[in-house]
Amino acid sequence: MISFRGVSKIYPPNVTALKDVDLVIQPGEFVSIVGQSGTGKTTLAKLIIAEQRPTRGKVVIGDWDITNIKAGEIPILRRQIGVVFQDFKLLPRKTLFENVAFALEVAGMQRKRIATIVPQVLKIVGLEGKMDRFPREVSGGEQQRAVIARALVHRPKILVADEPTGNLDAINAHDIIELLRKINEFGTTIVLVTHNREIVNMLHKRVVTIDQGMVISDQKTGRYLL
Amino acid sequence: MIVTSLIRAFHFALQGFWRNIWLSVVTVIILVLTLFSVSMVGGVNVVAREVVSSIENKIDVSVYFNPDVDQQEIQNIQYRFESLRSVDNVTLVSKEEAERRFRERHVNDPEIIQSLDELEENPLGATLVIKAKNIEDYPLILEMLEDPDYAELIENSNFDDNQVITDRLSDIASRVQRIGMLVTGVFVLISILIIFNTIRITIYTHREEIGIMKLVGASNWFIRFPFVLESILYAFIAVLFSMALLYPFVHVVSPYIATLFEGYDFNLLQYFTSHLLSIMLLQLVIAMGLSVISSAVAVGKYLKV
Ligand SMILES: Nc1ncnc2c1ncn2[C@@H]1O[C@H](COP(=O)(O)OP(=O)(O)OP(=O)(O)O)[C@@H](O)[C@H]1O
Ligand SMILES: [Mg+2]
Repeated sequence: MISFRGVSKIYPPNVTALKDVDLVIQPGEFVSIVGQSGTGKTTLAKLIIAEQRPTRGKVVIGDWDITNIKAGEIPILRRQIGVVFQDFKLLPRKTLFENVAFALEVAGMQRKRIATIVPQVLKIVGLEGKMDRFPREVSGGEQQRAVIARALVHRPKILVADEPTGNLDAINAHDIIELLRKINEFGTTIVLVTHNREIVNMLHKRVVTIDQGMVISDQKTGRYLL
Repeated sequence: MIVTSLIRAFHFALQGFWRNIWLSVVTVIILVLTLFSVSMVGGVNVVAREVVSSIENKIDVSVYFNPDVDQQEIQNIQYRFESLRSVDNVTLVSKEEAERRFRERHVNDPEIIQSLDELEENPLGATLVIKAKNIEDYPLILEMLEDPDYAELIENSNFDDNQVITDRLSDIASRVQRIGMLVTGVFVLISILIIFNTIRITIYTHREEIGIMKLVGASNWFIRFPFVLESILYAFIAVLFSMALLYPFVHVVSPYIATLFEGYDFNLLQYFTSHLLSIMLLQLVIAMGLSVISSAVAVGKYLKV
């Protein structure tokens, strides 16, 4: 469960990115966060992974109040939340396998276990034949699948994806969303931040609309409003 | 898990080393220069200390007794001085020994020998050679010898004063050392700046990896450690190179240094080889200290995790 209680985020000196947000996301949900540019969607995602702290209010993940999480505990949180962010692409000098393995290596997992887990996850995202290619040797859609694989490799209960279809054409974007839907069916909570109207309308899942830092609509099987 | 992480951190550190290989080379060179100049200061220190103590070793007071003074009396005086805390040792040169030495010295001078032979009694008196523990103790000894009780016994006493030389030597040594310290200080400063900058650049080249590491939950120490490790690597390599340079250097200068020591056995090369381990350890401590401190500051400043 993800819970925001009266959360405001003010970036210094005075940019109000979020204002009094109340939001509860149940385990296993698939929630799309939509809204215009600069309304605070990415900020909301960053609060979930404790990359930003709320100025006011309370953020709880599972039964862990991360509002004032200690720096040393952030890694523990991050291993339970998969993250797909636009500015964290694949490392160009590593193969797809190595890119995904990297997430496990830095957590101290043994090589042997990495060698069994990584192919499994790459198979889930449909990259089983391309493990040894470098990012520049695969398409943008495939790169994004590898990024998702990297986010999934810790078997997180929550996956936060900020514009995962940003640079992709319609077909590739559609495939990525299908992949997220599949992952959600395995039981992972998905928080999807997107601009893509078609995708949101096609999903028939919960839609939270944010405008100027405030939640202005929250629909169970919503459509893209604005 | 810890071992695996350590190996990975090491791998990461090596990567940092190779990716900016020229920067690494410069860093190592400056560290080597620093260590070298520290060693030079240390070397000057050792040589100066040895020279001074070799000269101090030659200082003593010779007390020449009148020839007719009783053996027993001389021995009493010997005991008296031996029992002083400030006296290191007292050697007695007996009348006979004095004569023997006299003859030896003048073996090519038959006239003198002949006149000595003509005398019925040995005209030479016994001598006491008093060696103090410290130079500062001689005035006291000399004062004691002034004792009126001794006036009739002692012909004269001779204080071989090398104080002036040792003072001058100490003075030169301390001046050389001060310059050495200054040069070392400059090198230390430059090393700190260069290591700091190298680690900063390594952090910059790794920024993508670091970002991903943070996002996938790498612990703070795992992110920071490779950079500190990299700087430790510089320290190790620098010590190896500095020792490799120092050895032939000492080999070359050692004979010249030896000429400073007349009648005193001092071999710099031997000193170097017998203290190899402690010299290396000292260099390692210095190099590590410099690298770890400056890289830790760089990591703290540029690696907000
Ligand atoms: N680190 C930051 N420091 C200061 N201001 C920030 C920072 N991050 C975001 N902001 C500001 O906060 C507001 C919300 O930004 P945010 O990135 O959350 O918007 P967004 O909804 O994700 O926009 P987009 O759809 O364009 O990605 C914007 O006005 C932005 O300029
Ligand atoms: Mg955004």
